[in-house]
Amino acid sequence: MGFYAKRRPGRVAAAMGRAVDFRYHPRLHAHAPMDPVQFATEIESHRGYLLRVALLQLRDRESAEDAVQETLLAALTGQGSFTGKSTLKTWLTGILKHKVVDTIRKRQREPIAVASFDEELDLDDFDALFKSNGAWDTPPADWGDPEAALNQRQFFDVMDFCLEKLPANTGRVFMMREVMELESDEICKELRITANNLWVILYRARVSLRQCLEQNWFAAGAASR
Amino acid sequence: MLQRKIGHMLSCKHASRLISRMQDETLSPFTRWMLRLHLSACDGCTRFKAQLAILGDAMRRYRS
Repeated sequence: MGFYAKRRPGRVAAAMGRAVDFRYHPRLHAHAPMDPVQFATEIESHRGYLLRVALLQLRDRESAEDAVQETLLAALTGQGSFTGKSTLKTWLTGILKHKVVDTIRKRQREPIAVASFDEELDLDDFDALFKSNGAWDTPPADWGDPEAALNQRQFFDVMDFCLEKLPANTGRVFMMREVMELESDEICKELRITANNLWVILYRARVSLRQCLEQNWFAAGAASR
Repeated sequence: MLQRKIGHMLSCKHASRLISRMQDETLSPFTRWMLRLHLSACDGCTRFKAQLAILGDAMRRYRS
């Protein structure tokens, strides 16, 4: 029952006598055009998420809102190109990616000076994680069942919290790499940093996030959840 | 025994940097071999590697 309920919500609900609207079932009508009004409403419902992603990248409310606005507009006018092969959210993120890259490109007239990265290019403050012989001071803890965490909404709230705690440029580079999935050399070109700078920044981001998640989710809540 | 010795030639500090770098580019065969030996002898770094993979998974879900 659990299995079928997951895979065929319509059929099970119908078998149980509940009214089911098959017209917009995403699996049945992946390619059928959606009613424009409903499409607009669904797109609008992702505004908050898109804004969060854009803000983390651009670190400036105004340009983030502009990028999201342009994304939603492009999505509305390009409804036909949404085939339903990916989820709406993934499709929108793809559009947003281009808008964000455009914004960063336009900014290149006044690029982020590498100097502003300086503090984040140093790994000295990470030395405390290791003993003088280079071994872990406190080795990473056992995370138990991480798959279960990924199925919980609150986990992603903690993740948001941890992402926002990253230093500005570190968070931005990490999002470019992991959410926007830009290639390393693309990021280096956009931000005018060296490959070595990029590795250091990504290492900082990953180590900090790992630690933050361990403290605020895997260690803190494991017992109470 | 020999394997453990070679594994410890790479410190955890260095290994953890390589593990992060591995997510973004292909390491040289020699570096990969050194890292593999280190991982076979080091639980901390093995966990670190698994947790970075989880982090990547989480970011992919965050997106979709």
